[in-house]
Amino acid sequence: MDWLTVGDKAAAKRHNRWVDPSFTDLPLQHKNEVKRPRKRKGDASSSDQIFYRPNKQSQTDEDEPWVDRYSPSCQAELAVHKKKIEEVENWLRIHTTTSKGGILLLTGPSGCGKTTTVRVLAQELSIRIHEWTNSSNMESYSSSSQYEFRMNGLSYSSQSAQFREFLLRANKYNWLKIVGDDGTTDKKLILVEDFPNQFLRQHGSLHDILRQFVRSSRCPLVFIMSDSVNRDSSSRSLFPKDLQEELNITNISFNPVAPTAMMKVLTRISTVEAGKSCGKMCVLDAAALESLCSGSSGDIRSALNSLQFISFPDKALWTRKDRHVPSGIKQMKKKRSKKTKQMDQEPAIGGKDASLFLFRALGKILHCKRGNHGSPEAAQCAPGPALPSHLAHHQRDPLLITPEMVVEHSHMSGEVFNLYLHQNYLDFFSEVDDVAEASKYQSDADLLAANWMTRSTMRDYGSSVATRGILYSNTRHTSVGFRPLYKPNWLLVNKNHQENCLAAQSLFGSFCLTPVSLQTELLPYLPKLSNPLRNQAQLRFINDVAQMSLRRFPCRLKLETLTDKDPGELKIDAEEEQEDKQCQDGAEAPHPVTDHILLDEEDLIIDEYDSD
Amino acid sequence: MSLWVDKYRPTSLSKLDYHKEQAAQLRNLVQCGDFPHLLVYGPSGGGKKSRIMCLLRELYGAGVEKLRMEHQTLVAPSKKKIEINTIASNYHLEVNARQGGRSVLFHLLFHCFTSYFIFFFIASHLISSSFSLLHILFHLLFHCFTYFVSTVMLETRTRVVIQELIKTVAQSQQIQSSTQREFKVVLLTEVDRLTKDAQHALRRTMEKYTATCRLILCSTSTSKVIGPIRSRCLAIRVPLPSTEEVCSVLTAVCKKEGLLLPPELAKQISERSGRNLRKALLMCEACRVQQYPFSADQEIPVADWVIYLRETANAIVSQQSPQRLLEVRARLYELLTHCIPPDVIMKGLLTELLNNCDGQLKTEVAHLAAYYEHRLQLGNKAIYHLEAFVARFMAMYKKFMEDGLDGMMF
Repeated sequence: MDWLTVGDKAAAKRHNRWVDPSFTDLPLQHKNEVKRPRKRKGDASSSDQIFYRPNKQSQTDEDEPWVDRYSPSCQAELAVHKKKIEEVENWLRIHTTTSKGGILLLTGPSGCGKTTTVRVLAQELSIRIHEWTNSSNMESYSSSSQYEFRMNGLSYSSQSAQFREFLLRANKYNWLKIVGDDGTTDKKLILVEDFPNQFLRQHGSLHDILRQFVRSSRCPLVFIMSDSVNRDSSSRSLFPKDLQEELNITNISFNPVAPTAMMKVLTRISTVEAGKSCGKMCVLDAAALESLCSGSSGDIRSALNSLQFISFPDKALWTRKDRHVPSGIKQMKKKRSKKTKQMDQEPAIGGKDASLFLFRALGKILHCKRGNHGSPEAAQCAPGPALPSHLAHHQRDPLLITPEMVVEHSHMSGEVFNLYLHQNYLDFFSEVDDVAEASKYQSDADLLAANWMTRSTMRDYGSSVATRGILYSNTRHTSVGFRPLYKPNWLLVNKNHQENCLAAQSLFGSFCLTPVSLQTELLPYLPKLSNPLRNQAQLRFINDVAQMSLRRFPCRLKLETLTDKDPGELKIDAEEEQEDKQCQDGAEAPHPVTDHILLDEEDLIIDEYDSD
Repeated sequence: MSLWVDKYRPTSLSKLDYHKEQAAQLRNLVQCGDFPHLLVYGPSGGGKKSRIMCLLRELYGAGVEKLRMEHQTLVAPSKKKIEINTIASNYHLEVNARQGGRSVLFHLLFHCFTSYFIFFFIASHLISSSFSLLHILFHLLFHCFTYFVSTVMLETRTRVVIQELIKTVAQSQQIQSSTQREFKVVLLTEVDRLTKDAQHALRRTMEKYTATCRLILCSTSTSKVIGPIRSRCLAIRVPLPSTEEVCSVLTAVCKKEGLLLPPELAKQISERSGRNLRKALLMCEACRVQQYPFSADQEIPVADWVIYLRETANAIVSQQSPQRLLEVRARLYELLTHCIPPDVIMKGLLTELLNNCDGQLKTEVAHLAAYYEHRLQLGNKAIYHLEAFVARFMAMYKKFMEDGLDGMMF
């Protein structure tokens, strides 16, 4: 699934191209003569960010996508958090002034302004950007350094070879001074946003190239990758932690554009456009903008596209869709009064599929937020009379979430989600009775999905039973505060179990025993017997598996903390993206503290078990 | 130097130490020259396999003891290869019934999926005009597909393994049929682990190849073996040896080793082992390693996991809280990693917990354990059920203790 992130990006770009003709009957002109060879002008470059001052060149072109027209040109116009910009700027300053290059990795959700930040900063610091683009054939090279390929070799070299060549050349040679080029600088940086496809499958080759690059690097190299909730987020597989340390890669992670910043941008653009169009298009009120804002979940590019889309009601092509808009807006207005339901409804237009990172999704279930019993909202939500007295202990305050939606938004199969819940639910319970109840429901859920023939239909019911069971049985009303979340151990344990069983069978097959008696009777005694006729593998197995360390505390399996951006099933974990997130998300998604739970493998004598 | 268990395993029916009457009957059976399919059942450690091997030796002579491990590759109807390990001599073949299941399943699934998608692709090209039609077709296809997979899978999973193996054995006639028996023997262990469908397939195979092959099925109980198979086999029950018999075997083995085993220790070992002779011999040998000369009140080494499980049970009883449950879960994981099957854990946990709780609770706890053990068999991920059992025990025990305290106070 590695290709998905890049695929996302590509899709987003394609989307832009599809949008263009809908606003114009003319072919897209090249709007601004670029100073640097830029192939993908207008795609990701200017679309990420907006600024409210129209470009001089494009002012005439009414139907140009707003994302292009309002692309920011200076730092102040960026909708990115100040500190992030500063961070990137500092890095760029440091690494362009010295001749020693470095590697920067920018991550973040799509449409949060990664590329634009780099471009704007590069412009301000007068650094040239030298960008790698994937090409489908030799002819499509447009970057000047890549022309050389066409000149030199008719032979087609593999993409990764080309990439290596590109890096090394870009690193080594300076720009040619061309008359008319106002570039007075020889500072440059290499930008890679399009990853050669091969690397997504073979991470090793990229790593090798990077190592080679770092050894001889003279100019900074910037990678830009989109985050995704996809389980195999490629930033993690392409740039694993150890590589980042080895090559001294700086990782700066962007957050989704904050609603306030986005709102500001949308409002400005909306007013500017409305003023220009002289009533030709409908002006959206604040509520509609707000809903657009929340619907886009921090993707400013998609928010702008939707804004433009909604604002042109009188195109014949869109009349049908247009009818939806006002109704959608009306709905939204109503919705504002009932904030509890807001989550489930998506705007008719411009809604980006809200997806929750696993950390948030788990938190929603485990923290079990319920409405206040006394509040009028709660009374509204709970239909029917209160339960009779003998059933009163089943009474729960209405939920603020729909568990099924949460599971759906988490982009995981119900079973895996259940595993995560199972791993973590105990920390959120204080009463054993509640735990017993919750575990009962989880056992039920497992049973529902047990049969492989019916699993595809039943797994939704299973996850529903598990999530609702956990929600229901948690009777504690107070908040527990922050708790770290962990990745489930079961998969690993199960794998080890299977592997060890197989190994036992193959290593000790000569005893001709059934697996159960081999594993429970013979193997445990082997270490207690002095029996020299064992080969190395058998000895090792006996040491590892047949013996159990009794003296020790049951060394907890190493718990892997789940960070808030972790996609589901990953061996590698990452604890980046820490500080800045907090100031935006507030208490919503605090950060796990890893160290205090991980027990060291020290000899802890169990004495508490013997007492009482 | 091999283990005592292997070293002193009786090799002929006449040398068996207990159930001598049954041994004599078996010898009579073999001396007739032919025998029906056998179903040998009884608890583990009672000597089923030893008896079977003695029987084979009686049949074929010392040649059966030359065992070789074989790695066989079978081809399922889907053209996928299944690898299994077997143990064989020139005269017989031993297969564990559990093997081969999982891999076949996945190969088949994959196979079905690919063919299904190709089909769908073609279909979508044929009727590309109408979306709704396509939609209907998709549903139809999907149903066909599930049906297809289910029939294929059920039929093939273990059946292929068993059938193919028996076929290869049965189809190759004995070469020296003048001097030897005209049939080979297939020994199938853990028959109770076979699925119902595989057992039905086995039934047909049994009938088909009676001329050239005899089956000896080996299982711990007959309750999971289907009726048709039971009725086609001569059932032989091998009960556990009595405590005295275990003691005498232990003493005899020690004597052969030149050791002196005090009768008290022998008795203690046989009690500790639960009359499981294999366990008893292993314990005895471990005692020898631990200390010689033996002393009557010597501590008998117990398997690590048993102690570990006991400690886990103590942990459960000593405190009931979510935190403790978390620790217990870690311990359960540890046990699973060390190859202890979940049902064994459940059983061991129950025994330990029962020791710790009051008479009133015992029935309830046993009921709880039975309930979750059943789910363990049906379900997918063992830990849910193990943990549910522990959690509910904790809740029950806590309530019981609190009630008891209240009772004391008033």
